[in-house]
Amino acid sequence: MNGQYASLLIALPLISAFFVPLIKELGRKAVMGYLVMITALQTAIAGWVANEVYSTGKPIIVIAGGWKPPVGINLYIGHFAALFVLIIAVISFFMAIFSFRAVNVEPVDKYAMLFLLLMLGATGMIATGDIFNLFVFMEITAISAYALTAYNKTGEAAEASMKYIVLGGIGSSFFLIGVALIYGATGTLNMAHLAQLAGAIDPTVAQVGLALIIFGLAVEAELFPLNAWAPDAYQAAPHPITVMFSAFVVKAGLYAIGRLLYLFQGAEGWSGLLRLLVILATLTVIVAELSALRQKDAKRMIAYSSIGQVGMIAFALALGTQAGVSAGVFHMVNHAIVKALLFLTVGYVGVALGGTAIENFQGLGKRMPLTALTITIGSLATVGIPLFNIFWSKIRILLAGVEAGYSWSVALILGASVVEAVYYFRLVHTMWFVEGGGRIRENFAIGVIAIFLAALIIVIGVYPNDVWTIVQKAGQDLFNVANYIKNVPLMGVGA
Amino acid sequence: MVSLLKRSLAIISILVIGYWLAQGLAGVPFGEDKMLVGHYYLQHVKEQTGAVNAVTAVVVNYRGLDTLGEVTVLFIASTGVAALLWRKKRERTAKVGGSPVLTVGTKFLVPFVMLFGAYIFIHGHLTPGGGFPGGATIATAFLLLYMAFTIYEIPHKAFEKVEGLAGMGYVLVGLIGLAIGGYFLFDWIWQDWQWGVDNIGRLFSGGFIPIIYTIIGIKVGTELSGIVDNMLKEEVRE
Repeated sequence: MNGQYASLLIALPLISAFFVPLIKELGRKAVMGYLVMITALQTAIAGWVANEVYSTGKPIIVIAGGWKPPVGINLYIGHFAALFVLIIAVISFFMAIFSFRAVNVEPVDKYAMLFLLLMLGATGMIATGDIFNLFVFMEITAISAYALTAYNKTGEAAEASMKYIVLGGIGSSFFLIGVALIYGATGTLNMAHLAQLAGAIDPTVAQVGLALIIFGLAVEAELFPLNAWAPDAYQAAPHPITVMFSAFVVKAGLYAIGRLLYLFQGAEGWSGLLRLLVILATLTVIVAELSALRQKDAKRMIAYSSIGQVGMIAFALALGTQAGVSAGVFHMVNHAIVKALLFLTVGYVGVALGGTAIENFQGLGKRMPLTALTITIGSLATVGIPLFNIFWSKIRILLAGVEAGYSWSVALILGASVVEAVYYFRLVHTMWFVEGGGRIRENFAIGVIAIFLAALIIVIGVYPNDVWTIVQKAGQDLFNVANYIKNVPLMGVGA
Repeated sequence: MVSLLKRSLAIISILVIGYWLAQGLAGVPFGEDKMLVGHYYLQHVKEQTGAVNAVTAVVVNYRGLDTLGEVTVLFIASTGVAALLWRKKRERTAKVGGSPVLTVGTKFLVPFVMLFGAYIFIHGHLTPGGGFPGGATIATAFLLLYMAFTIYEIPHKAFEKVEGLAGMGYVLVGLIGLAIGGYFLFDWIWQDWQWGVDNIGRLFSGGFIPIIYTIIGIKVGTELSGIVDNMLKEEVRE
């Protein structure tokens, strides 16, 4: 089949979102069923694309409008994008199923539209090969995220959304100013073309432009000190949306930082920027883990833990070595699985017991054994115990960090991991060794999803090598810029 | 004392960042010939897209994916407003109607404002403007009606459906391009069928640009009116 059909990854969620107003009269069940159907279809397309990319070993370049880059916009679906577009689609599919149970606030038709567009935005951010197009997709992601954060219409949801809007708005403007500076200096917006021209940019302009872009993206990527919105938003958003935030919205921001960072590696003053990013990432880990320790709400605690993990990914991506980038991508995959499981199960407890405060988890091992078991697996995985998936990516990140000469950061991150172990074991202890209420019947579909994710955690933990080869390819896609430029069919413009 | 220290620290850091930004800005060659892609557009716009208005050609044709994204951003904004202001039953609660000047003027002007909006988006490939300003102009007509008459309401449900249909129309145009020309958002009308080749500079030219701009005009018009409607109505309890 023609590779151009990969544009359906963008077209399908869009046209389906626009279709929702026409079926809203059919009621809540119809809209939710429709959501499940569309995300399943998206998963099928993403599966086809990923299969195509990994079997041929060549990226799919979607050329919008038939205009060759840099005149037109292209999508670059390489090993990284193919893998993550699939992850986005699968997680969205699971969350569409979870939404049946978890989302009861009206208007559900609007929820379905925003849900699809959040998925679309993250997909576009990861797939695009044009820096301004990246901005457009970032806006789509961010604005649907603002609306979904406030969707529950409680006071704290409104406050969280407001915080998110203010910070996100500042971030977007930073990003746009950075893009304008870079465009002014080079005269092009295409990423491959920019990478070609990176060495010739005036060093101050490159540094200022790139720094602005990265600060702008850092809001979406939840890096300290621009992540103040995240815990509130994670806690206030509907449970399926929190899963999406943690599993792929933040990943899209991280990917954009990584991609743009390596595209500009030819520019002068680049390594200074890397060092800054390493410091920010280390601070993100420490601040997040220390804040998590004090939380009395499980969802909020896991939100802080998610930010900590994200900081670790940013640390790996900012090392500037092949090993670091591959380890970071590995951690992105593992984190997506583990946090999807944790937010799903904790969210389910919230739906079933009417809140996610730690007290509700007392005796959960007897009340909802399956849910408690999967939360335990997720917690142990996050802490980084051997035979669970995160152990492998965490150790690879730390080794790559030492290799790149950042032993002090590695030591600090290890210290933060101990803190992480403390609060996760506290949660596990509460679930299994404290008495609680009576037994509750667990939902079958959610149970199946949770078991699937938990099984994936253990399978990757026991046999990490297969996944490691896949993510290594994805990491190379990010790191090897010469290849990236070669794969985009640039036409010559200008003199 | 502490606040003074804090404030001066803030001012100093702003100055440092400002200086740094200015340094970056000073490095961008201003007024110099750096328009790599820009020149290409200017030289080829007529033969490749059939539009006389180069800006429109860039926005709708060369960088059509961005515009599809921007249309989506507006759609999200209106959906978000509708989602957050949703109540079971809502009505207009305005008590004071417009002055005679406003009501008479509105009655007289509304058709013309709408006509002008339609003119703007239909002629997007020829004159400045296009779907976004055209749609905004049409929404102004509805805003006038809301301001002049306390009982006026747009047909909310119908508008929502039109909005969805218009959005689907845009994506469909892109998919037809994929089916006929092999690329998403490919301008098959100009490049494959070559309609309007002898008509450059007149209404029936520009390939799919007038079609897309009409869709965008309708979409933006209904969307902005919907936002006005949502923000004006208040919850009523039985």
